[in-house]
Amino acid sequence: MSSVIVLAPLIVGGWPVISAAVTAAIGTMGFSVATAAAAQRRESSVNRAEIEVENSEILASQGGLEQSIVVERGGIRATFSRDARGALKVCMEGESVSKAELQRVGEELLGAVTQQYAYHRIVSELKNRNMVVVDEEVLADRSVKIRVRNF
Amino acid sequence: MAEEEVEIEISPQGKVIVRTNGIKGSRCLDVAELFARIIGTEESRQLTSEYYEQDTEARRHQRVANRYTGGDG
Repeated sequence: MSSVIVLAPLIVGGWPVISAAVTAAIGTMGFSVATAAAAQRRESSVNRAEIEVENSEILASQGGLEQSIVVERGGIRATFSRDARGALKVCMEGESVSKAELQRVGEELLGAVTQQYAYHRIVSELKNRNMVVVDEEVLADRSVKIRVRNF
Repeated sequence: MAEEEVEIEISPQGKVIVRTNGIKGSRCLDVAELFARIIGTEESRQLTSEYYEQDTEARRHQRVANRYTGGDG
């Protein structure tokens, strides 16, 4: 082994890139995209938690100003959108779910979105540079491992 | 000789760990930094023995060359 570098992904992209990462991530956590009616439902007696991804920028030039994706899982609703500063944020809502639990699930969701973004970014760059992926696996802890040659 | 390989691990929290295997000398850092440019900001870096191997080899060649040319080393 020669070197080990730990990187924190910077999520930068237009809304199509972000929404693709969200769509890929929610499946791994048992969430599904809410129906239009469910997405518009507003309830007053729910707990809420809002989390922003600091290392993110949704490019306004590629849509996303008014865009959002609403996903649901067993009484928890998560709305992904672009905040006023251009960062990705998720608003978690749930009836009879504590704020702490909403915060925990929200952070897990954003982790999954970041993982999906990083995976697709890396794989598409590897293809562009004609690097060869020799092996790819999902580990028990849901980490994704990729082995590459020809660089 | 070990085959040159890069192993990329993406954690469920989105952290990316890039390990270079079998790449000697500072070239392993070039490869690792390529991934840093692709994906984001570097949080930590650890160099292991292979990083220093090529440098040691290069220094030995330099000493031999100096012996023949009368230079220091």
